[in-house]
Amino acid sequence: MAELVHLDRALARRILGGDEAAFRDLFDRFFPRLYRFALARVPRDPDAARDIVQQTFCKAIERLDTYRGEAALYTWFCQICRNVVADHYRHNSRSGSRVVLLEDQPDARAILESFAAPEADEPEAGAMREQVHRLVEATLDALPGRYGEALELKYIDGLSVREIAGRLALGEKATESLLTRARESFREAIAGIF
Amino acid sequence: MKRDADIVETLIQGAGRRAEPPEDAYRQVFLAAHASFREKVQGRRRAWMLWGAAAATFLLSIAVVLRWAPPGVQPGGLATVARVVGEAEVDTGSGWQPLTAPHTRLPAGARLRTQAAGRMALTLAGGESLRVAGQTRLMLDAPGRLYVQAGTIYVDSGERPAAARIEVVTPAGTARDVGTQFELQVDGAALRLRVREGLVMLDRGGRSLTGRAGEQLSVDGLGGVARTSIGPADPAWQWAESIAPMPDMDGKPASTLIAWVARETGRRLRYESPIVEQRATAVILHGDIRHLAPLEALEAMLATTDLEFELRGDTMEVRSRTDEAR
Repeated sequence: MAELVHLDRALARRILGGDEAAFRDLFDRFFPRLYRFALARVPRDPDAARDIVQQTFCKAIERLDTYRGEAALYTWFCQICRNVVADHYRHNSRSGSRVVLLEDQPDARAILESFAAPEADEPEAGAMREQVHRLVEATLDALPGRYGEALELKYIDGLSVREIAGRLALGEKATESLLTRARESFREAIAGIF
Repeated sequence: MKRDADIVETLIQGAGRRAEPPEDAYRQVFLAAHASFREKVQGRRRAWMLWGAAAATFLLSIAVVLRWAPPGVQPGGLATVARVVGEAEVDTGSGWQPLTAPHTRLPAGARLRTQAAGRMALTLAGGESLRVAGQTRLMLDAPGRLYVQAGTIYVDSGERPAAARIEVVTPAGTARDVGTQFELQVDGAALRLRVREGLVMLDRGGRSLTGRAGEQLSVDGLGGVARTSIGPADPAWQWAESIAPMPDMDGKPASTLIAWVARETGRRLRYESPIVEQRATAVILHGDIRHLAPLEALEAMLATTDLEFELRGDTMEVRSRTDEAR
């Protein structure tokens, strides 16, 4: 984590120095994650999600020189995004109640368990599955570095360590180590919620 | 519930691949975020310049107190003003000022803008010529890099090696030349690239496009690209020719002026015969033609010689008025 924050501070410094490539690197890595983060909080309203992410980027860049590295840069962006979402609900108070996310529900463990059960056994599982799906997305998005990408390559694409190493331009040992840390981080993140 | 060892696999496989945001959302947010980024960087540079100016004033005061006379320092710059026509302004950190004087050096971070009838020509530190049309706003960002917020520019980077590229960053994409003459127009999220000579690479929203000589690429706000053709001598280039900073031709051979005008007007040069070409090299020019447009200047200068020129499509032919020189 300390290493990640160190890298994030260096990235912020490069952006503040006018480094176009650093800006694009940050944008390309953060945009999809923040978009999903926002859309989870304004479901079925992609226009609102887009506007929220736009405001988040603009505010974050404006305040980037106040980033001190107390947390990962993505976490810092997420905090700004939460505030923008809160503003959105304040300004659109008639448009509906605020979304309560799965991680805030008391029976979250039961929901998680239902995710592994066959669909026929759980007639009400549809909505829950959708929430778990979003939760897994959010957890993968919140993992540092390229952990989320590595886990998807492993468990969704079914690639071997060698193939993942090729995709991530890493050595095989480094890839094995990265996968181990990624799995551990994912487990910890899920355990933290449930 | 499955064993803890399998929970990672179960959850990730069950959830499937994360959904990608829509492409148009990417483009819209990128444009806004990029504009914020440029504004932030620019603001910080202005602040540093103000601090720098304050520090310089302080040091100068000390120097005066110590009765020390510093040697004359020529500050470096990213560009030099070659010509200004109409209203043009510059902001180097102390607010907008009219830009009138040729040879003014412009530092990194200098912002420039032209009014509707304003135009200017700058010579960049690498020797490239930058022309700025009316209603254009831009910033000199770093050596070889400009940021164009809105409006139209023309770059003539000559025949330099590919490594010494000019990079033009805009809210709608980034253009990189490979030894060329090109025009770039920025209008919000839309962009138009016209390539007169050479090759220009255009990066936009993660996509890379190539503009070749004679091509016009119109990229709309949603990323749609339309390609049409534009000749090197098309009248559309005339605004850039009209502000071309003419080199001092006094005492130079007529052939130097002829070659320069041919390049500026996008025409292939052809001499009627080798004898006429030799004649153009032997004739030495005298006089100041720096305030004339290229073709007017050539006409004025050749009027005093036995040479003349004719434009035939994309070709400029130079010939002799007299039979002897043929």
